[in-house]
Amino acid sequence: MHAVTIVQTGEVYSCSEDEPLLAGMARLGRRGIPVGCLGGGCGVCKIRVLSGSVRKLGPVSRAHVNVEEEGRGYTLACRVAPECAVELEVVGKLQKPFFKGFAGRQQNVLSTK
Amino acid sequence: MGIMRIGHASIRVMDMATAVKHYENVLGMKKTMQDKDGNVYLKCWDEWDKYSLILTPSDQAGLNHVAYKVEHDSDLDALQKRIEAYGIKTEMLPEGTLPSTGRMLKFKLPSTHEMRLYAMKECVGTDVGSVNPDPWPDDLKGAGVHWLDHCLLMCELNPETGVNKVAENTKFVMECLDFHLAEQVMVGPGNAIQAATWLFRTTTPHDIAFVGGPRNGLHHIAFFLDSWNDLLKAADVMAKTKTKIDVSPTRHGITRGETIYFFDPSGNRNETFAGLGYLAQPDRPVITWTEDHLGSGIFYHTGELVPSFTEVYT
Repeated sequence: MHAVTIVQTGEVYSCSEDEPLLAGMARLGRRGIPVGCLGGGCGVCKIRVLSGSVRKLGPVSRAHVNVEEEGRGYTLACRVAPECAVELEVVGKLQKPFFKGFAGRQQNVLSTK
Repeated sequence: MGIMRIGHASIRVMDMATAVKHYENVLGMKKTMQDKDGNVYLKCWDEWDKYSLILTPSDQAGLNHVAYKVEHDSDLDALQKRIEAYGIKTEMLPEGTLPSTGRMLKFKLPSTHEMRLYAMKECVGTDVGSVNPDPWPDDLKGAGVHWLDHCLLMCELNPETGVNKVAENTKFVMECLDFHLAEQVMVGPGNAIQAATWLFRTTTPHDIAFVGGPRNGLHHIAFFLDSWNDLLKAADVMAKTKTKIDVSPTRHGITRGETIYFFDPSGNRNETFAGLGYLAQPDRPVITWTEDHLGSGIFYHTGELVPSFTEVYT
Protein backbone atom coordinates (compact mmCIF):
# COMPACT_ATOMS: atom_id res chain seq x y z
CA MET A 1 0.00 0.00 0.00
CA HIS A 2 1.17 3.52 -0.81
CA ALA A 3 0.16 6.82 0.75
CA VAL A 4 -1.71 9.12 -1.60
CA THR A 5 -2.06 12.78 -0.64
CA ILE A 6 -4.69 15.14 -2.02
CA VAL A 7 -2.77 18.40 -1.80
CA GLN A 8 -5.76 20.74 -1.81
CA THR A 9 -7.29 19.22 1.31
CA GLY A 10 -4.31 17.48 2.91
CA GLU A 11 -6.24 14.23 3.04
CA VAL A 12 -4.19 11.03 2.82
CA TYR A 13 -5.45 7.62 1.78
CA SER A 14 -3.92 4.23 1.07
CA CYS A 15 -3.91 2.66 -2.34
CA SER A 16 -2.30 -0.59 -3.46
CA GLU A 17 -0.11 -0.98 -6.53
CA ASP A 18 -2.79 -3.03 -8.25
CA GLU A 19 -5.73 -0.71 -7.90
CA PRO A 20 -6.62 2.60 -9.49
CA LEU A 21 -6.12 5.79 -7.48
CA LEU A 22 -9.86 6.32 -7.77
CA ALA A 23 -10.62 3.09 -5.88
CA GLY A 24 -8.65 4.26 -2.84
CA MET A 25 -10.14 7.72 -3.07
CA ALA A 26 -13.64 6.22 -3.08
CA ARG A 27 -12.79 4.54 0.23
CA LEU A 28 -12.54 7.99 1.78
CA GLY A 29 -16.30 7.69 1.76
CA ARG A 30 -16.73 11.27 0.72
CA ARG A 31 -20.13 11.81 -0.78
CA GLY A 32 -20.17 12.55 -4.45
CA ILE A 33 -16.77 11.28 -5.57
CA PRO A 34 -17.52 10.90 -9.26
CA VAL A 35 -17.01 7.26 -10.01
CA GLY A 36 -17.98 7.34 -13.67
CA CYS A 37 -17.32 4.79 -16.38
CA LEU A 38 -14.09 3.40 -14.82
CA GLY A 39 -12.85 2.94 -18.37
CA GLY A 40 -10.95 6.16 -19.04
CA GLY A 41 -13.67 7.44 -21.36
CA CYS A 42 -15.90 9.86 -19.49
CA GLY A 43 -13.27 12.07 -17.86
CA VAL A 44 -15.02 12.87 -14.57
CA CYS A 45 -12.15 11.64 -12.36
CA LYS A 46 -9.43 13.90 -13.80
CA ILE A 47 -6.42 14.52 -11.57
CA ARG A 48 -2.87 15.86 -11.84
CA VAL A 49 -0.03 13.86 -10.34
CA LEU A 50 2.37 16.35 -8.71
CA SER A 51 4.90 13.94 -7.25
CA GLY A 52 5.57 10.23 -7.17
CA SER A 53 4.99 7.87 -10.07
CA VAL A 54 1.98 6.01 -11.36
CA ARG A 55 1.46 3.03 -13.65
CA LYS A 56 -1.09 3.23 -16.45
CA LEU A 57 -3.77 0.53 -16.21
CA GLY A 58 -5.41 1.26 -19.56
CA PRO A 59 -6.16 3.92 -22.17
CA VAL A 60 -7.14 7.47 -21.19
CA SER A 61 -9.41 9.39 -23.57
CA ARG A 62 -7.67 12.16 -25.52
CA ALA A 63 -10.95 14.06 -25.35
CA HIS A 64 -10.23 14.61 -21.67
CA VAL A 65 -6.43 14.54 -21.34
CA ASN A 66 -4.49 15.95 -24.28
CA VAL A 67 -0.82 15.26 -25.02
CA GLU A 68 0.37 18.50 -23.47
CA GLU A 69 -1.61 17.86 -20.30
CA GLU A 70 -0.38 14.29 -20.10
CA GLY A 71 3.18 15.64 -20.10
CA ARG A 72 2.30 17.84 -17.13
CA GLY A 73 0.98 14.93 -15.06
CA TYR A 74 -2.71 15.08 -15.87
CA THR A 75 -4.53 11.76 -16.09
CA LEU A 76 -7.72 10.00 -14.99
CA ALA A 77 -7.75 8.48 -11.50
CA CYS A 78 -9.55 5.35 -12.72
CA ARG A 79 -6.69 4.45 -15.08
CA VAL A 80 -3.53 4.74 -12.97
CA ALA A 81 -2.15 2.89 -9.95
CA PRO A 82 0.52 4.24 -7.58
CA GLU A 83 4.09 2.88 -7.75
CA CYS A 84 5.16 4.77 -4.64
CA ALA A 85 3.83 7.56 -2.44
CA VAL A 86 1.89 10.00 -4.63
CA GLU A 87 0.78 13.60 -4.28
CA LEU A 88 -2.07 14.66 -6.51
CA GLU A 89 -4.46 17.49 -7.09
CA VAL A 90 -8.01 16.99 -8.21
CA VAL A 91 -9.23 18.85 -11.28
CA GLY A 92 -12.35 19.00 -13.40
CA LYS A 93 -15.54 17.52 -12.07
CA LEU A 94 -13.70 15.88 -9.20
CA GLN A 95 -13.40 19.32 -7.65
CA LYS A 96 -17.09 19.37 -6.88
CA PRO A 97 -17.08 17.00 -3.89
CA PHE A 98 -13.77 18.32 -2.63
CA PHE A 99 -14.53 22.02 -2.89
CA LYS A 100 -18.24 22.07 -2.60
CA GLY A 101 -19.48 25.62 -2.47
CA PHE A 102 -16.28 27.06 -3.91
CA ALA A 103 -15.80 25.64 -7.37
CA GLY A 104 -18.01 27.03 -10.11
CA ARG A 105 -20.86 24.66 -10.52
CA GLN A 106 -21.26 23.30 -13.99
CA GLN A 107 -24.54 21.68 -13.23
CA ASN A 108 -26.43 19.53 -15.63
CA VAL A 109 -29.92 20.83 -16.20
CA LEU A 110 -31.37 17.43 -15.38
CA SER A 111 -29.43 16.87 -12.19
CA THR A 112 -30.88 17.63 -8.82
CA LYS A 113 -28.98 19.46 -6.10
CA MET B 1 -42.30 4.96 -46.22
CA GLY B 2 -39.57 6.93 -44.50
CA ILE B 3 -37.54 5.83 -41.50
CA MET B 4 -38.32 2.34 -40.18
CA ARG B 5 -35.96 1.94 -37.22
CA ILE B 6 -32.47 2.46 -35.84
CA GLY B 7 -30.02 0.63 -38.10
CA HIS B 8 -26.66 0.91 -36.47
CA ALA B 9 -24.43 2.95 -34.22
CA SER B 10 -20.76 3.61 -34.94
CA ILE B 11 -18.81 4.20 -31.75
CA ARG B 12 -15.19 4.82 -30.83
CA VAL B 13 -13.30 2.44 -28.56
CA MET B 14 -9.81 2.77 -27.09
CA ASP B 15 -8.92 -0.94 -26.93
CA MET B 16 -10.46 -3.03 -29.68
CA ALA B 17 -9.78 -6.47 -28.21
CA THR B 18 -11.46 -5.72 -24.87
CA ALA B 19 -14.31 -3.91 -26.64
CA VAL B 20 -15.08 -6.87 -28.88
CA LYS B 21 -14.89 -9.17 -25.89
CA HIS B 22 -17.41 -6.96 -24.05
CA TYR B 23 -19.94 -6.80 -26.88
CA GLU B 24 -19.58 -10.55 -27.57
CA ASN B 25 -19.46 -11.94 -24.04
CA VAL B 26 -21.54 -9.46 -22.03
CA LEU B 27 -24.12 -8.38 -24.63
CA GLY B 28 -23.96 -11.59 -26.66
CA MET B 29 -23.44 -10.01 -30.08
CA LYS B 30 -21.51 -11.73 -32.84
CA LYS B 31 -18.71 -10.28 -34.93
CA THR B 32 -19.70 -10.40 -38.60
CA MET B 33 -16.95 -8.42 -40.33
CA GLN B 34 -13.71 -6.53 -39.88
CA ASP B 35 -12.54 -4.02 -42.48
CA LYS B 36 -9.00 -3.06 -43.51
CA ASP B 37 -9.02 -0.05 -41.20
CA GLY B 38 -9.60 -2.30 -38.22
CA ASN B 39 -13.26 -1.41 -37.70
CA VAL B 40 -15.26 -4.32 -36.28
CA TYR B 41 -18.91 -4.97 -37.19
CA LEU B 42 -21.27 -6.91 -34.94
CA LYS B 43 -24.91 -7.98 -34.89
CA CYS B 44 -27.41 -9.34 -32.36
CA TRP B 45 -28.98 -12.79 -32.86
CA ASP B 46 -32.48 -11.48 -33.59
CA GLU B 47 -31.37 -8.95 -36.20
CA TRP B 48 -31.40 -9.87 -39.89
CA ASP B 49 -29.16 -7.20 -41.39
CA LYS B 50 -25.42 -7.76 -41.36
CA TYR B 51 -24.49 -5.43 -38.50
CA SER B 52 -25.95 -3.00 -35.99
CA LEU B 53 -22.76 -1.88 -34.26
CA ILE B 54 -19.47 -0.60 -35.67
CA LEU B 55 -16.50 -0.33 -33.31
CA THR B 56 -13.84 2.11 -34.49
CA PRO B 57 -10.34 2.14 -33.00
CA SER B 58 -9.62 5.56 -31.50
CA ASP B 59 -7.82 7.42 -28.73
CA GLN B 60 -11.14 8.45 -27.21
CA ALA B 61 -14.65 7.15 -26.59
CA GLY B 62 -17.94 8.41 -28.01
CA LEU B 63 -20.24 8.32 -31.01
CA ASN B 64 -19.12 8.60 -34.65
CA HIS B 65 -22.61 8.45 -36.12
CA VAL B 66 -25.99 6.84 -35.68
CA ALA B 67 -27.84 5.44 -38.68
CA TYR B 68 -31.53 4.78 -39.33
CA LYS B 69 -32.93 2.52 -42.02
CA VAL B 70 -35.56 3.83 -44.43
CA GLU B 71 -38.00 1.58 -46.27
CA HIS B 72 -37.35 2.56 -49.90
CA ASP B 73 -34.26 3.81 -51.67
CA SER B 74 -36.34 6.70 -53.09
CA ASP B 75 -37.05 7.84 -49.51
CA LEU B 76 -33.43 8.99 -49.37
CA ASP B 77 -33.99 11.45 -52.22
CA ALA B 78 -37.26 12.70 -50.74
CA LEU B 79 -35.76 13.15 -47.29
CA GLN B 80 -32.67 14.84 -48.72
CA LYS B 81 -34.91 17.50 -50.32
CA ARG B 82 -36.78 18.08 -47.07
CA ILE B 83 -33.63 18.29 -44.94
CA GLU B 84 -31.95 20.70 -47.38
CA ALA B 85 -35.12 22.81 -47.51
CA TYR B 86 -35.04 22.95 -43.70
CA GLY B 87 -31.58 24.53 -44.01
CA ILE B 88 -29.36 21.61 -43.11
CA LYS B 89 -26.61 20.53 -45.50
CA THR B 90 -26.56 16.89 -46.58
CA GLU B 91 -24.17 14.59 -48.40
CA MET B 92 -25.08 11.41 -50.27
CA LEU B 93 -22.34 8.86 -49.57
CA PRO B 94 -22.06 6.28 -52.37
CA GLU B 95 -22.84 2.60 -51.94
CA GLY B 96 -19.91 0.77 -50.40
CA THR B 97 -18.81 3.65 -48.18
CA LEU B 98 -19.63 1.18 -45.45
CA PRO B 99 -19.29 -2.50 -46.39
CA SER B 100 -22.50 -4.41 -47.24
CA THR B 101 -24.39 -1.11 -47.14
CA GLY B 102 -26.08 0.95 -49.86
CA ARG B 103 -25.83 4.70 -50.34
CA MET B 104 -26.20 6.77 -47.20
CA LEU B 105 -27.62 10.23 -46.66
CA LYS B 106 -25.33 11.99 -44.18
CA PHE B 107 -26.14 15.15 -42.22
CA LYS B 108 -25.75 16.71 -38.82
CA LEU B 109 -28.54 17.20 -36.32
CA PRO B 110 -28.79 20.75 -34.91
CA SER B 111 -26.86 19.34 -31.90
CA THR B 112 -23.98 18.43 -34.33
CA HIS B 113 -24.39 14.69 -33.86
CA GLU B 114 -23.91 12.94 -37.21
CA MET B 115 -26.90 11.00 -38.49
CA ARG B 116 -27.04 8.77 -41.55
CA LEU B 117 -29.99 7.25 -43.38
CA TYR B 118 -29.77 4.24 -45.67
CA ALA B 119 -32.17 1.87 -47.41
CA MET B 120 -29.99 -1.17 -48.12
CA LYS B 121 -27.86 -3.38 -45.92
CA GLU B 122 -26.98 -6.99 -46.68
CA CYS B 123 -29.59 -9.30 -45.15
CA VAL B 124 -28.01 -12.33 -43.51
CA GLY B 125 -31.04 -13.51 -41.52
CA THR B 126 -31.59 -13.99 -37.81
CA ASP B 127 -29.82 -16.77 -35.93
CA VAL B 128 -33.02 -18.84 -35.84
CA GLY B 129 -33.84 -18.38 -39.50
CA SER B 130 -37.20 -17.62 -41.09
CA VAL B 131 -38.61 -21.11 -41.72
CA ASN B 132 -40.26 -22.85 -38.73
CA PRO B 133 -37.91 -21.02 -36.36
CA ASP B 134 -37.24 -21.83 -32.72
CA PRO B 135 -37.81 -18.93 -30.31
CA TRP B 136 -34.12 -18.56 -29.49
CA PRO B 137 -30.80 -19.97 -30.70
CA ASP B 138 -28.71 -22.48 -28.72
CA ASP B 139 -25.40 -20.63 -28.75
CA LEU B 140 -26.37 -17.44 -26.90
CA LYS B 141 -23.63 -15.80 -24.87
CA GLY B 142 -24.01 -13.35 -22.02
CA ALA B 143 -27.20 -11.32 -21.93
CA GLY B 144 -28.20 -12.49 -25.40
CA VAL B 145 -29.63 -9.14 -26.46
CA HIS B 146 -32.15 -9.22 -29.32
CA TRP B 147 -31.46 -6.02 -31.18
CA LEU B 148 -30.10 -2.48 -31.02
CA ASP B 149 -33.16 -0.63 -29.76
CA HIS B 150 -32.43 3.10 -29.53
CA CYS B 151 -29.86 5.69 -28.63
CA LEU B 152 -29.89 8.69 -26.30
CA LEU B 153 -27.94 11.74 -27.37
CA MET B 154 -26.88 14.41 -24.89
CA CYS B 155 -27.59 17.86 -26.34
CA GLU B 156 -26.35 21.22 -25.21
CA LEU B 157 -28.91 23.01 -23.07
CA ASN B 158 -28.11 26.33 -21.45
CA PRO B 159 -31.19 28.38 -20.57
CA GLU B 160 -29.03 31.38 -19.65
CA THR B 161 -27.66 31.72 -23.16
CA GLY B 162 -30.83 30.49 -24.80
CA VAL B 163 -29.21 27.41 -26.29
CA ASN B 164 -31.57 24.43 -26.42
CA LYS B 165 -30.41 21.74 -28.81
CA VAL B 166 -32.99 19.33 -27.36
CA ALA B 167 -35.82 21.49 -28.66
CA GLU B 168 -34.01 22.14 -31.95
CA ASN B 169 -33.34 18.44 -32.57
CA THR B 170 -36.89 17.52 -31.61
CA LYS B 171 -38.39 20.05 -34.01
CA PHE B 172 -36.08 18.93 -36.80
CA VAL B 173 -36.71 15.19 -36.51
CA MET B 174 -40.46 15.73 -36.22
CA GLU B 175 -40.71 18.12 -39.16
CA CYS B 176 -38.20 16.50 -41.51
CA LEU B 177 -37.97 12.85 -40.52
CA ASP B 178 -41.58 12.29 -39.33
CA PHE B 179 -40.64 11.17 -35.84
CA HIS B 180 -43.48 11.34 -33.31
CA LEU B 181 -43.08 12.70 -29.80
CA ALA B 182 -43.93 10.13 -27.10
CA GLU B 183 -42.74 11.86 -23.94
CA GLN B 184 -41.02 15.05 -22.87
CA VAL B 185 -39.52 16.60 -19.75
CA MET B 186 -40.41 20.25 -19.19
CA VAL B 187 -38.38 22.29 -16.67
CA GLY B 188 -37.75 25.83 -15.53
CA PRO B 189 -40.17 28.66 -14.77
CA GLY B 190 -43.65 27.56 -15.80
CA ASN B 191 -42.16 24.28 -17.04
CA ALA B 192 -41.52 26.07 -20.31
CA ILE B 193 -38.13 24.58 -21.23
CA GLN B 194 -38.15 21.32 -23.19
CA ALA B 195 -35.21 19.59 -21.48
CA ALA B 196 -35.59 16.04 -22.78
CA THR B 197 -37.62 14.21 -25.42
CA TRP B 198 -38.35 10.62 -26.46
CA LEU B 199 -39.42 10.06 -30.04
CA PHE B 200 -40.49 7.10 -32.17
CA ARG B 201 -40.89 5.78 -35.68
CA THR B 202 -41.67 2.19 -34.64
CA THR B 203 -44.52 1.25 -32.29
CA THR B 204 -42.42 1.47 -29.10
CA PRO B 205 -42.07 4.71 -27.13
CA HIS B 206 -38.63 5.66 -28.38
CA ASP B 207 -36.23 5.04 -31.21
CA ILE B 208 -34.21 8.11 -30.29
CA ALA B 209 -34.03 10.37 -27.25
CA PHE B 210 -32.49 13.77 -26.61
CA VAL B 211 -31.52 14.96 -23.13
CA GLY B 212 -30.13 18.35 -22.19
CA GLY B 213 -26.65 18.69 -20.71
CA PRO B 214 -23.61 20.96 -20.64
CA ARG B 215 -22.17 19.55 -23.89
CA ASN B 216 -23.16 17.34 -26.81
CA GLY B 217 -22.28 13.67 -26.58
CA LEU B 218 -23.41 10.08 -26.42
CA HIS B 219 -25.37 9.09 -23.34
CA HIS B 220 -26.02 5.48 -24.30
CA ILE B 221 -26.90 2.93 -26.89
CA ALA B 222 -29.59 0.47 -25.80
CA PHE B 223 -30.20 -3.17 -26.63
CA PHE B 224 -33.51 -4.98 -26.31
CA LEU B 225 -34.31 -7.84 -23.96
CA ASP B 226 -37.66 -9.60 -23.63
CA SER B 227 -38.38 -9.55 -19.95
CA TRP B 228 -37.48 -8.61 -16.40
CA ASN B 229 -36.06 -12.13 -15.97
CA ASP B 230 -33.72 -11.56 -18.90
CA LEU B 231 -32.65 -8.31 -17.27
CA LEU B 232 -31.82 -10.09 -14.00
CA LYS B 233 -29.71 -12.59 -15.91
CA ALA B 234 -28.00 -9.75 -17.77
CA ALA B 235 -27.08 -8.13 -14.44
CA ASP B 236 -25.69 -11.49 -13.27
CA VAL B 237 -23.57 -11.65 -16.41
CA MET B 238 -22.24 -8.14 -15.70
CA ALA B 239 -21.34 -9.11 -12.15
CA LYS B 240 -19.59 -12.27 -13.33
CA THR B 241 -17.60 -10.35 -15.93
CA LYS B 242 -16.81 -7.42 -13.55
CA THR B 243 -18.57 -5.05 -15.92
CA LYS B 244 -19.06 -1.60 -14.38
CA ILE B 245 -22.80 -1.21 -13.69
CA ASP B 246 -24.00 2.39 -13.52
CA VAL B 247 -27.60 1.68 -12.49
CA SER B 248 -28.68 -1.84 -11.49
CA PRO B 249 -32.04 -3.25 -12.64
CA THR B 250 -34.93 -0.83 -12.19
CA ARG B 251 -37.77 0.75 -14.14
CA HIS B 252 -38.08 4.09 -15.87
CA GLY B 253 -41.27 6.08 -15.38
CA ILE B 254 -40.60 7.54 -18.80
CA THR B 255 -41.31 4.86 -21.47
CA ARG B 256 -42.01 2.32 -18.64
CA GLY B 257 -38.81 0.56 -19.72
CA GLU B 258 -37.05 -1.92 -17.46
CA THR B 259 -33.38 -1.13 -17.49
CA ILE B 260 -29.75 -1.64 -16.56
CA TYR B 261 -27.09 0.94 -17.36
CA PHE B 262 -23.49 -0.15 -17.63
CA PHE B 263 -20.29 0.82 -19.39
CA ASP B 264 -18.23 -0.77 -22.12
CA PRO B 265 -14.46 -0.93 -21.42
CA SER B 266 -13.91 2.47 -23.09
CA GLY B 267 -16.60 4.16 -21.02
CA ASN B 268 -19.40 4.24 -23.58
CA ARG B 269 -22.65 3.68 -21.69
CA ASN B 270 -24.78 0.71 -22.71
CA GLU B 271 -28.32 -0.09 -21.66
CA THR B 272 -30.19 -3.35 -21.69
CA PHE B 273 -33.82 -2.36 -22.07
CA ALA B 274 -36.71 -4.76 -21.51
CA GLY B 275 -40.38 -4.53 -22.21
CA LEU B 276 -42.15 -2.82 -25.08
CA GLY B 277 -43.50 -0.06 -22.81
CA TYR B 278 -46.79 0.71 -24.52
CA LEU B 279 -48.17 0.95 -28.02
CA ALA B 280 -46.74 4.14 -29.42
CA GLN B 281 -48.99 5.73 -32.02
CA PRO B 282 -48.96 9.14 -33.72
CA ASP B 283 -52.35 10.03 -32.22
CA ARG B 284 -51.48 8.96 -28.65
CA PRO B 285 -51.43 11.97 -26.32
CA VAL B 286 -47.88 13.16 -25.61
CA ILE B 287 -46.77 12.40 -22.03
CA THR B 288 -45.22 15.30 -20.12
CA TRP B 289 -43.03 15.01 -17.00
CA THR B 290 -42.58 18.13 -14.92
CA GLU B 291 -39.38 19.10 -13.12
CA ASP B 292 -40.77 18.23 -9.68
CA HIS B 293 -41.44 14.64 -10.80
CA LEU B 294 -38.30 14.21 -12.85
CA GLY B 295 -36.76 11.72 -10.41
CA SER B 296 -39.73 9.38 -10.81
CA GLY B 297 -39.64 9.82 -14.55
CA ILE B 298 -36.05 8.68 -14.79
CA PHE B 299 -35.98 6.08 -11.97
CA TYR B 300 -39.53 5.21 -11.06
CA HIS B 301 -38.96 3.14 -7.91
CA THR B 302 -36.72 5.45 -5.92
CA GLY B 303 -37.77 8.69 -7.52
CA GLU B 304 -34.19 9.84 -7.04
CA LEU B 305 -31.72 10.83 -9.71
CA VAL B 306 -28.32 9.18 -9.74
CA PRO B 307 -25.71 11.93 -10.32
CA SER B 308 -23.60 9.79 -12.64
CA PHE B 309 -26.62 9.20 -14.86
CA THR B 310 -26.76 12.81 -15.98
CA GLU B 311 -23.15 13.86 -15.50
CA VAL B 312 -21.19 10.95 -16.97
CA TYR B 313 -21.18 10.41 -20.73
CA THR B 314 -18.82 10.22 -23.70
